[in-house]
Amino acid sequence: MELSVNGPKIYYRLPFDLPDSSIFTMKNLVTQTTVSLIAVTVILILVALFTTRNLKTRPGKFQVVAEKLVNMLYGLVEDTMGKHNLKFAPYIGTLFLASIFGTLIGTTQLFRSTTADLSVTAAWALVTTGMVWYNNIKNFGFKAWLKGFTEPIVVMTPMNVVSEIANPVSMAFRHFGNVAGGSVLTALIYGALGAASSLLFSWLPGVLADIPFLAAGIPAVLSIYFDLFSGFVQALVFSLLTMVYVGGACPPPEELPESRRKKKKAQ
Amino acid sequence: MGLLNVSKDVASQFENFVGVNLWTMLIAWVNLLILYLVLKKLLFKPLKNMIDSRQKEIDDMYSDAEADKASAAALKVEYEERLARASEESEQMLRSAQRRAQLKEEEILKEANDKAARTLERAEEQIEQEKKRAINDVKNQVSGLAVDIAAAVIGRDVSSAEHEDLINDFIENIGEK
Repeated sequence: MELSVNGPKIYYRLPFDLPDSSIFTMKNLVTQTTVSLIAVTVILILVALFTTRNLKTRPGKFQVVAEKLVNMLYGLVEDTMGKHNLKFAPYIGTLFLASIFGTLIGTTQLFRSTTADLSVTAAWALVTTGMVWYNNIKNFGFKAWLKGFTEPIVVMTPMNVVSEIANPVSMAFRHFGNVAGGSVLTALIYGALGAASSLLFSWLPGVLADIPFLAAGIPAVLSIYFDLFSGFVQALVFSLLTMVYVGGACPPPEELPESRRKKKKAQ
Repeated sequence: MGLLNVSKDVASQFENFVGVNLWTMLIAWVNLLILYLVLKKLLFKPLKNMIDSRQKEIDDMYSDAEADKASAAALKVEYEERLARASEESEQMLRSAQRRAQLKEEEILKEANDKAARTLERAEEQIEQEKKRAINDVKNQVSGLAVDIAAAVIGRDVSSAEHEDLINDFIENIGEK
């Protein structure tokens, strides 16, 4: 039998020539990932509408759970980034929900996990980096930010630059690798179990011999780890790293340099 | 095994497993932005506001309860004070009433005693007077009797005036005996 591991399926390719190489492409306009991304967005908007449809001061069970989760989110953001950075909580929550729903949508088999596409995790990682740079420049000034690369000594500059670039790259590849690797493993296990059962049950008459009996049950248990647990952990790791990096660029107001503080107050 | 050997026509249908598609990135950004704006407005802000407003309500309730408790404690102290004062007052009233009653009792007793003493005194005086009068009467009668007896003995009339002294001496002598 043949087992192939592919990237997202291409639904529409632009008819004219655009840069296209093995790792970078601009030609494939609509892919499986595009559909999944839009599906996740629609699902999450529906979930949001459903959750806040009928908010009450005396909450029902569902509202209690939703409030608990939002409280946990704000608590986590406060613990990691500090009270002055609570304004980032909605973005962190959005990132977490987009990540975990993007991973889990793959288990429906109707869609491909959005996070199993490097383009998506790279896009999110670049947003984090953009936020870090923007906030660094806003809080410390452009010169101070550039000067930060030469610390503690000038010799370290190339290392600092590399580590700055490595941050989004490692974030993107970590998330992508975990989810995509999980799906590859699941496919491999399905294939292996199918082969094993066709060996074991080949003596059965007719169509019964083609049913992969062994493939029932075992992949489900593994899926709990590779999809549910790993998806949750990766969403948490991605959100936590974003919090840590952005939080580092947004120190508490009293730790900012004197000149910067006054400017901030005037705003 | 040919596991990762992807044939040409399959490769044309799928993107590379590890690759970056600029359009997908763009769509990921747009979706993230839309999700951020929508979830912030529809999910996080309303829930957070609800939590905060409930927290505020609870805090208000607690501080109100605290204030009520404090005022109740103050009232309690005041009432206890008042109660203590009232009981003290009533005790005082009782004591003064008792004292007055005692005074009155003593007065009445004294008056009664005085009255009794006076009555006794008067009675004694009267008795004394009666006694004196009786003695005088007896004296007079005895002197008359003596004169009569003497007249009878002597055979002639003894003027009482002439022998008054004699009789009196006699009576005196009787009294002494």
